[in-house]
Amino acid sequence: MVKEYHIEPVTRLEGHAGMVIVIDNNGKVDDVQFNVQSTRFFEKFCEGRLVEHLPRITPRICGICPIPHHISCVKAVEDAWGIKIPTPAFKLRELLVNAKQYASHVLHFYALASPDFLLGPFADPSTRNVVNVINKMPDVGVMALKMMDFGQKLGAAIGGKSVHPVIGVPGGMRKALDEDDRDLFLKQIDEQIEFTKKTADIALKVIEDYWDVVSKVGEVPTYYIGLTKNGVHELYDGDLRVVTPDGKKIDYNVHKYLDVIAERVLDHSYTPAGYYKPAGYPEGIFRANTLAMINAVDKMGTPLADEALKTFRSRLGNISHHTFAFHWARIIETIASIETIKKYLEDPDVVNPDQKIADVEPREGEGIACIEAPRGILLYHINSDDKGICKKINIIVSTNLNVGGIEKSLKYTAKQIIEDNALNNIKLPEPWLK
Amino acid sequence: MSVKVAFLQLSDCWGCHQSFLNSDLELAPILPNINIVYWPAVVDFKLESIKLMEDGNIDIGFIEGCIRTNDDEKNAKLFRQKSKFIISFGACACYGNVSGLANLFSLEEQIKRKYVTCETVDEQYRKEPTKNVSGFRNKVNALDDIIKVDAYLNGCPPRSEQILGLIQYLLGQKPFPRHELSFCTDCDIKENCLLKQGILCFGAVTSSGCSLKCTKNGTSCLGCFGPSLKNDVRVTELISMIKKVDIKNKDNKNSIFKFLSLFLNVPLISGFEISNDPLKNVTLKDQLDKNNLLYPPETRELVSILLNILKNSDAFHEISTVCDTCPRTRKKNEIVSIKREFKGIPNQTDCFIDQGYICMGPITKAGCGALCIKVNAQCDGCYGQTQYNCDQVNRFFDKVTHDFNMKITNRDFLNQVIDPIGIFERFTLAKNKNYL
Repeated sequence: MVKEYHIEPVTRLEGHAGMVIVIDNNGKVDDVQFNVQSTRFFEKFCEGRLVEHLPRITPRICGICPIPHHISCVKAVEDAWGIKIPTPAFKLRELLVNAKQYASHVLHFYALASPDFLLGPFADPSTRNVVNVINKMPDVGVMALKMMDFGQKLGAAIGGKSVHPVIGVPGGMRKALDEDDRDLFLKQIDEQIEFTKKTADIALKVIEDYWDVVSKVGEVPTYYIGLTKNGVHELYDGDLRVVTPDGKKIDYNVHKYLDVIAERVLDHSYTPAGYYKPAGYPEGIFRANTLAMINAVDKMGTPLADEALKTFRSRLGNISHHTFAFHWARIIETIASIETIKKYLEDPDVVNPDQKIADVEPREGEGIACIEAPRGILLYHINSDDKGICKKINIIVSTNLNVGGIEKSLKYTAKQIIEDNALNNIKLPEPWLK
Repeated sequence: MSVKVAFLQLSDCWGCHQSFLNSDLELAPILPNINIVYWPAVVDFKLESIKLMEDGNIDIGFIEGCIRTNDDEKNAKLFRQKSKFIISFGACACYGNVSGLANLFSLEEQIKRKYVTCETVDEQYRKEPTKNVSGFRNKVNALDDIIKVDAYLNGCPPRSEQILGLIQYLLGQKPFPRHELSFCTDCDIKENCLLKQGILCFGAVTSSGCSLKCTKNGTSCLGCFGPSLKNDVRVTELISMIKKVDIKNKDNKNSIFKFLSLFLNVPLISGFEISNDPLKNVTLKDQLDKNNLLYPPETRELVSILLNILKNSDAFHEISTVCDTCPRTRKKNEIVSIKREFKGIPNQTDCFIDQGYICMGPITKAGCGALCIKVNAQCDGCYGQTQYNCDQVNRFFDKVTHDFNMKITNRDFLNQVIDPIGIFERFTLAKNKNYL
């Protein structure tokens, strides 16, 4: 008998999705679908808007990563209009996107992912959540809240609001960070670095405990895509780097993105699946996000994160296809973010009032920009007419670049569990929390 | 006893939840008092568990997002059925948000752009997804176009303080009473009681102990000391006065507005609107622990009536716009042309409109704390309009012509703004019946 399992909705996820697993007559996994259930057609209703308003409209695509949307969008407008922003604005944007990366990664690790590990995958669903983690491990809970608070408050201090920031404008930033605010965050930075180290320790302990899961479950070869600058980890200003399943790295200027990324509309999902165009679908299925970045970089570029990268590679190799290693990779990026935040908080340019060029004129043109958001690259392609009205916009969010990979790894894992009874051969630790 | 709370997300961005989570350490006193029965972003309950519930089982349902898909509509109705009290949570649910701009286009055009003509979608893979997906409605709607809503939390996103304030209020944790006796026991003008003269004075429900004693100077007590544990007998008179208050009277309007903001200690009450006496709905069904309510029931009744007035009176909204909370100074410069946002560098102390920029402050509801303006960005109206279903462009133009030194004719103004809908209806188009 054909069996269909419907999961509605997928929980602890930013966005709206369901999942369908179809088992055929012979007990084999026939199909696995990841059904993204909503889209709001920003690609259409942004047409006709004034281009300078887009960076204040499109952050509403995602409330977790509005800062990357805001910044990637304003960069694309500047690209279309041929604008070069002042150096202080460049640095302030770097600081802003790192603040977001930090807060989001901590939120992901503690609120979305940690309940699976700390309470174990077979815990009662009603207890498997961050509220329970906070109640059972108040010290860790308070630390996690303080970390998210730091990143979000820094984002708000720079961006005006942390959710749906407004600070960027074609030509630069509207205002520098206040010196008083800067001093306040600088005072907390060493404590935050300590928190990050503690978080890394917790994560490493979890990885050791779940080593069987990390190394054996869902190891699925795909292509990867991320942002690097001369091979170094970068969030704001880099080139696209594609990593092939066998670990070859190929760099592309973001303006060439149409040679790199193509999409397939899936019958069963409102998010099309991105793939590496030269390889086609499904061979060229991408994964973006933290593991993609860790596979892409030659180095992280900050001392603690580079140490962490060395440990990672000594255990999982120079290229890792381990789906559960996304969590580990996320920790490495968290370390890089807090180190980068420190670097820019100590840079006087972030409080330098020279944040915007005064002479900005719209012109006809196409602008393409990409930044690395918490869940992968985020690309904007904007067509402006000579009055600065948006004629066309294409937005590639990280979900598009992950949907194919999510389905591929789900299908592989479903086969492991349902067909090969893999759970019998996997060692699971006693849960930390009960 | 804990209160059953559910968070539902329709077509949205998660931002309201992120804003709620931004309360971080302040969540601590709330979490033990709520029993989260649904919150896909955070906990693992599936939709099935809601379907299995008896009607009205959920005490408070927060609904974020606009009605874009068929599932949005279906789930909103399901939650209405299962919840005693529904909060329209954030700009998408309250008035559609930017997603409402989709109503400028036909659904076919939207689908075509995303799945057919999109640059990255390969030729061989162009089609509309139809299998195991929700399906789209022709137009985007706000939540209260589909179901009855009990309370609204404006803003994109609503500020953390407002979300916390509302939850604390519903849990009976806010406002917190200070002293046993009411201000009336301390009042120096007992024989000339302002209430007896027909002036709204809130001393009967306000805590004693303040040193300002406004009544001494003939101005009424506006409740800034918070509630008392026991009310003065005058509370009956105050309630009956409120029930028939003339809210067109400017003094009354201001008193009520200030009282609610100060007394409830909720930053700017306008983002916190409750209709239909909802608290009664919840408390009468005995689901909220009455022991949580630290202050007298008449106080709650009074506040509830006032919130209801606030919600239902358009005139009320006009007294509190973003301009009222803006720190900038008015210069009354002549406005001879409209500057676009990227032009020049606006100075950080003078009114944007006086500097020739468009700022939605004059027609936008207060409540945000003018956060954008503080980082030198013009208000774009995310807290919603002070009036709905009217021509917002002309309303803005009239207001600016009336209150500012506007030297541009209506026609020139329209020519210069280029995209009036995208500017003046950016967040609220789903509420404009001309586009439905």
